[in-house]
Amino acid sequence: MEATTRDGDPVLSARGLVKSFHRGLPPRRRTIEVLKGADLEVRAGELVGLVGENGSGKSTLMQIVVGLLKRDGGEVEPPGTLGYCPQLPMVWEKLTVSEHFQLFGRAYSLDEAETDRAESDLLDELQFERYRDFRIEELSGGTRQKLNLALALMHDPELLLLDEPYAGFDWETYLRFWEMSERRRDAGMGILIVSHLLAERDRLDRIYSLVDGRTVPA
Amino acid sequence: MTAFAEVAGSFVREQARTPLNLVLLVFIPIFFVVIFASVLGEFAEALGGDLAEQAATSISAGWAAAFLCGTLAFFQLNSARDADRRLASAGLGPWRVATGRIAAALVLGALVSAVAYLTLWLRSGVEHPPHAALAILIFAAIYIGLGALIGVLVRGQLEGSLIVVLVFALDVFSGPAMTSGGGLTSFTPTRDAAELLIAAGGGRDSPASDWIGAAAVAAGGIAIAMVAFWLSARSRGS
Repeated sequence: MEATTRDGDPVLSARGLVKSFHRGLPPRRRTIEVLKGADLEVRAGELVGLVGENGSGKSTLMQIVVGLLKRDGGEVEPPGTLGYCPQLPMVWEKLTVSEHFQLFGRAYSLDEAETDRAESDLLDELQFERYRDFRIEELSGGTRQKLNLALALMHDPELLLLDEPYAGFDWETYLRFWEMSERRRDAGMGILIVSHLLAERDRLDRIYSLVDGRTVPA
Repeated sequence: MTAFAEVAGSFVREQARTPLNLVLLVFIPIFFVVIFASVLGEFAEALGGDLAEQAATSISAGWAAAFLCGTLAFFQLNSARDADRRLASAGLGPWRVATGRIAAALVLGALVSAVAYLTLWLRSGVEHPPHAALAILIFAAIYIGLGALIGVLVRGQLEGSLIVVLVFALDVFSGPAMTSGGGLTSFTPTRDAAELLIAAGGGRDSPASDWIGAAAVAAGGIAIAMVAFWLSARSRGS
């Protein structure tokens, strides 16, 4: 599946996002306002960073964009195809790496040939081919994270959302991750990377900072 | 292979690859039919009931299927919640994920029921085999619903599994012939299924109205499980 947007077209536009969480029971019930009108835009062929302190709402914002969380207010114009790499791998411990590709291939409406090709290409690109038939419970943290990333990439989405994607990567894989991201950005994919610490600012086209529930250019 | 078969098959494999599940699948029916049944009569006597030995043995096969299906449904929902939501949001949608989960729960329920039935047959024989098999399946369906419902309401594994056991214990000890009768014990979810299983074990037929009532409760259990799996796979509000 190829991205159909042109460079510069917005692939994600989110405006005025509001989100609160309610925790505890009365009389200790508390409301935590996480997002208070956050805006976000990512264009095709752009590598954008989103930074903020721990608990600032970065993952919440991303989950709202993906559709995993409902928003209390604001608007999101989602892209045609979206890939999401969550902070912690959301995978099934008892299934193999290959079975994950097959399941997500179904979810992305890829046919068998497209799924098999994406699986082979990504196993090769991220260099974990030998773990193809391993169950997730048998993998190291870094290899789980490679699968987590690969599942977000396998349908070549218009927008790629990466939440702390390189946690657990060794140095070589970390560098390969940036090469992969830049290659896809150059091919027209819009990419949003969330991190509490972005050391590679030079590689990014723009950076948002999430401060007090709102996004500001950093 | 269709998307449905791919998803449901993966979910069945996920459960089958848990070694403890397979051990429990063999030992829980043996424990219930051979050991639990013998003390069930004594409990019934203490509670003012009059559960006969044959009836206790028959009904224990139903309890074995119920207990296993309830805990399996609870853990199936609880342990895969995040991955299921990711799969649904990736494009499969919560209904198709829930349908896959239900299909997997029913396949496992049928397997559990078959083992419970076989244990009962080996232990004491079954006077009315088709009726007993169907009644055990009804137990399984009802507890798939209860296990999934508890799974969607309670996130903690310890808390949730304790609630499954509590509901199960209340159900067992307020079953037919366990108490002197009356009150709320007439409205437990497995009441009709238990009556049917006791009758089938003793070679007696049951009226059609009892079958219709039990089938309706079983269908309700499946419907509740479907909604619970759907709620688990869809977007969250908080």
